[in-house]
Amino acid sequence: MEDLLTITQLNKSYNGHPALTNINLSIKPGEIHGLVGANGSGKTTLMNILFGNPVIQATGGYSGEICFEGRRTAIKNCAEAIRLGIGMVHQEFALIPDMTVGENIRLGREHTQAWTDRLFGCQYSFVDRQKDYTAAQQTLNRLWINLDVKLKIADLTTNLRQFVEIAREIDRTDLKLLILDEPTAVLNKRDGLKLTEILKEMSKRQIGILFISHRLEEIQQICDRVSVLRDGRLVSQYKKGSISINNLARDMIGHEVNKAAAAKRAIAKQPVISFKNFSVRMPGEEINSLDLDVHQGEILGLTSLSGHGKLAVGYGMMAMYPVDGDVYYQNSRIARMDARANIKKGLYVLPDDRQGLGIMADQSLEDNVIFTANQVKNKFVRKSALAWLGFIDRVKSQKHVTAMVQDLDIKCTSVRQAVKELSGGNQQKVCIARALTVDPQLLFVAEPTRGIDISAKEKILQMLIEINRSRNTTIVIASSELDELKRVCDRIAVMVEGKVFKILPPDSSEVEFGLALSGEEGADNEQL
Amino acid sequence: MIIKNPAGGRLYNEYIVPAVFIILSFLAWQFSGLSGSFVFNQVLTRFIRDGILVLALVIPVVAGMGLNFAITVGAMAMQTALLVMIGYRIGGIPGILLAVVLGVVLSVLLGYLIGIILNRVKGKEMITTIIIGFLFNSVYQLIFLVGFGTIIPVPNTDIILTRGIGVRNTVDLGMYRNTIDKLWLIKAGQLEVPLFMILLVLGVAAFIFYILHTRFGQQIKAVGSSTPTSEVLGIDAKKVRIKVMIISTVLAALGQLAYLQNIGMFDVYTAHLTNDVIACAALLAGGASIKSAKIKHALLGVFLFHTLFIVSPQAGQNLFNNAALGEYFRSFVAYGTIAVALVINVRNEDGYKVS
Amino acid sequence: MNSYKLRPPQVIISLFLIILVALSYTLQMNLVTLFNESMVKMVMNGVLVLSLIPMLNVGAGMNFGLPVGIVGGLLGMCLAINFRMTGFYGFFMSLMFSLVFCALLGWLYGLILNRVKGREEIAGTFIGYSFIPLMNYVWTLVPFTNREMLYPIGGRGLRPRISLENYFNHILDDVAVLKMGGVEIPLGLLAFFALVSLFLYLYFRTKIGRATVAVGENESFARLSGVNISRTRLTAVIISTIIAGLGICVYAQSYGFVQLYDEPLSMAFPAIAAILIGGSTGKKTFIFEAVLGVYLLQSIYLLTVPIANAILIPELTEILRTMITYGVILYALLVRERQGRSIDY
Repeated sequence: MEDLLTITQLNKSYNGHPALTNINLSIKPGEIHGLVGANGSGKTTLMNILFGNPVIQATGGYSGEICFEGRRTAIKNCAEAIRLGIGMVHQEFALIPDMTVGENIRLGREHTQAWTDRLFGCQYSFVDRQKDYTAAQQTLNRLWINLDVKLKIADLTTNLRQFVEIAREIDRTDLKLLILDEPTAVLNKRDGLKLTEILKEMSKRQIGILFISHRLEEIQQICDRVSVLRDGRLVSQYKKGSISINNLARDMIGHEVNKAAAAKRAIAKQPVISFKNFSVRMPGEEINSLDLDVHQGEILGLTSLSGHGKLAVGYGMMAMYPVDGDVYYQNSRIARMDARANIKKGLYVLPDDRQGLGIMADQSLEDNVIFTANQVKNKFVRKSALAWLGFIDRVKSQKHVTAMVQDLDIKCTSVRQAVKELSGGNQQKVCIARALTVDPQLLFVAEPTRGIDISAKEKILQMLIEINRSRNTTIVIASSELDELKRVCDRIAVMVEGKVFKILPPDSSEVEFGLALSGEEGADNEQL
Repeated sequence: MIIKNPAGGRLYNEYIVPAVFIILSFLAWQFSGLSGSFVFNQVLTRFIRDGILVLALVIPVVAGMGLNFAITVGAMAMQTALLVMIGYRIGGIPGILLAVVLGVVLSVLLGYLIGIILNRVKGKEMITTIIIGFLFNSVYQLIFLVGFGTIIPVPNTDIILTRGIGVRNTVDLGMYRNTIDKLWLIKAGQLEVPLFMILLVLGVAAFIFYILHTRFGQQIKAVGSSTPTSEVLGIDAKKVRIKVMIISTVLAALGQLAYLQNIGMFDVYTAHLTNDVIACAALLAGGASIKSAKIKHALLGVFLFHTLFIVSPQAGQNLFNNAALGEYFRSFVAYGTIAVALVINVRNEDGYKVS
Repeated sequence: MNSYKLRPPQVIISLFLIILVALSYTLQMNLVTLFNESMVKMVMNGVLVLSLIPMLNVGAGMNFGLPVGIVGGLLGMCLAINFRMTGFYGFFMSLMFSLVFCALLGWLYGLILNRVKGREEIAGTFIGYSFIPLMNYVWTLVPFTNREMLYPIGGRGLRPRISLENYFNHILDDVAVLKMGGVEIPLGLLAFFALVSLFLYLYFRTKIGRATVAVGENESFARLSGVNISRTRLTAVIISTIIAGLGICVYAQSYGFVQLYDEPLSMAFPAIAAILIGGSTGKKTFIFEAVLGVYLLQSIYLLTVPIANAILIPELTEILRTMITYGVILYALLVRERQGRSIDY
């Protein structure tokens, strides 16, 4: 059978960082093609290219060839992808909240009155709402969903929204290829099964399906073929019948042999902070009733696929998002989240989004380093009758920052240089310098090496270990770079859907991590 | 992920504001001692004068661009067209038709320009439209106060100031007066109902209803509700927003024509100035918000707002023996309605956030 | 100031100014007198322009609600006049009364602005617009007794223009004027201006001042560092409002009249345009930019009057002023949003 979609030699890079390298992939009509990969493996980039997301064009386009139905195409925008017959079910839901279910399902394909069609063309023709609603209702019925099409999307639960999103694509008569991005992530098991039924039915109608999921079991059950992406490369491909969860998990993580950067040691199980039933409502990164103890003096790794909540722990402690549940810090309960109070108590967060949260780009290195310690702990204030106004003692602050620059080896022309002129790695060091100036007892670090070149990465990891060993600072590192965590951490907690799924020692095997990340309890019972 | 849906908040906007206006107007009417039929006739006159201008605001709100204070630009486009016709002595029906054509062409061009500007200031549309309105006002003044009679020769010297440069402050629309105004005038006792004009306003309302119920209308709603999502769904949001501004500006131009021909003469430099604020306040008085507006809000709002507008000076005179206080009350109501809408709506918007 | 760059509006305005100076020279006007006047005009409007800085720096945008602070200042002056406080004492007490009124008004204004984060400019515009008719009630009904400030007929309600002839007219203008030939430099006036600038300079070096700049530059960063965002914003708005109140007092003593009723409405836009011409883009702004901007803009205003009169179209002055004012503001809106977006990606 002729392929519906063929991708040959696809390459894409963002600012010189390769995101996809030499991808070759094909999908046949009626095939359910699974796609798995850890964070940063290039899944999202591949989807963005196929659905014409403007981000791709804005960052310089891609190289390689995409053939759709045998014709070479360049998909420049979403409208073009839709015209070709490509549909997409978005993880974040592309639904218009103020419109009804029926309107959303039919958006862009509304039934119109024939007579106004002739008068003004179909774009300006009167919509036959009743006919639309009937059609939408029929589509929903095909999905065995009982839902009033006149309800607004804003009033629906997440589960139902997922099905409306799918209904919109199924409703299309011209649909040839459907891309699903983690469609089962928000569904419970029963609804997940329902979805697989729907997909199988669609594949019978010769619609090609690209199915992206982290639930390996599902992939194993419904996919005709699976491709595994790792670091932007297609590392393996399995046909139905030879798909094993163990292999998928192993291929996702890869076999990188790394020496542990930190020697193994025994940590007393004395909790410095305990989370009980802790929830953080950070959009796209929620934590739901997390239970976790962090031990005094350890380096704890937190890892998960993106969207499963590893980043939200620290931000929740800084009251950046609404929180719920109990937190005990040094055996006393934190009654109300307040960033200032928590920093005073000895907590500190190194954010993942450096540009957005980590630095004041236009201000000098010196002002960046001393800011938090000065605001919260009143450090570097000039002693005088006007101390309450808080003028800075520049001699003291410059001495401190100059020492920091030397200690952390920050490359800069002077401490008065604007931070925006520094490289990513040096900016991260500025963030660490600020943390050290605050001198916390418990440090939350989010994605410490993201967007930093390799040599700087090593230094920053060493720095974290150094801080932990010499100052006895407990550190919680949330990162998707599993091999880095394995090298520095004493324990690694794997989070799935906002909860701790498993806590593994850093020397556990790739398969174990791969399975835990996907939320799979054990290995395959039987090798298929 | 829970979506908070403050149904109460929605009710709040839809009915509380009109209710307040009804109560205030009723009280002010009682104190003013004006006769019901006088107030009714006056309000009806304002309805046909301002109705289309208020309706011109509906589509930009639906498109998520907020209140379009730049409807003054459309108004100025029509005034320009009229002044050109008068300046070249083109009277009667051909004159008015030509004025309409020229006004519409000008406002399409200007609407396109405004649309492009607003595409660059997403999220700050309202303050930008205010500044655009003011800036165009300066350009307009430059053309007619300085340009007419110097660079641009004008055959009809009646409208030129005695010094030979610039248009007079007031220009008579005698040659167009009552061309359509008194058409189908129905009299019932003291009540006068200019049926044709009312139908015209309702016709524009029907046009907007039609637009909002086409595929294009669905796109407008989608862009207004969530621009990034609509782009993912294959809608060219920028193009939609430009088209919306063109429609709004053209309607504003037609609205200004209805306004001016009803008055019969026009103050060249001031006729358009406060139209934007009054129209916006009227729309909000009908129960619209910055995020959602319906045609019924516009139609109801014109009645409510102008009732209060007509009776309050007289009520001020009777209550405090000072008509100026009624005037202040009027401006306070106009500006205050918008200020309250801006403050309240942001709060409601927060309530809708995914939390 | 190392990041100071010349931007198109400044270049255009400077060229325009040079042309105007050349034109007035050929029209044989007295350039020395014009220069003297320009110094006065700069300070007269300059304090109002300085008042915009705290709000710009905290990220609350251009303060289109400037009338709020102006009204506070007017209240202060009216109170002083009512008690017949004259001379330096009168002016000083005006400033003190204004400070109290403005602190109160600024606090209320700040509370409202904290609720409309991200839309301060449009909300401020209409808060200012609706505050004016509300204050008209006060001007009409307030039981002041000094006949010199009431309507001559009827004896009730304040008159729209209250002459300061018998109170503190030119009280700062005439202090320590340095005369060198024809050139007169009003040292007292400039000293007052310098004092307000110094206050702002020091404010941004205090702890809360640094928090202010941090909130304006990166609100999330400040929040993560334990800064109380609402309180910082509130403080900045109050300080802006107080300086605006002082600003109108300085303006009035130069102008010779206290102007009530709808007059404050038209004052926000020229002040904003001035600070934008100085190089601000509606975000962090240096004091230097405010001073430069107000001098450039006021000089142009000053020069256009005699020139327009000389070519027999007096309205041209006003038209040119408004065109420059709104053109500059529109330009700033366009440029700022574009910069904002490039950071987003």
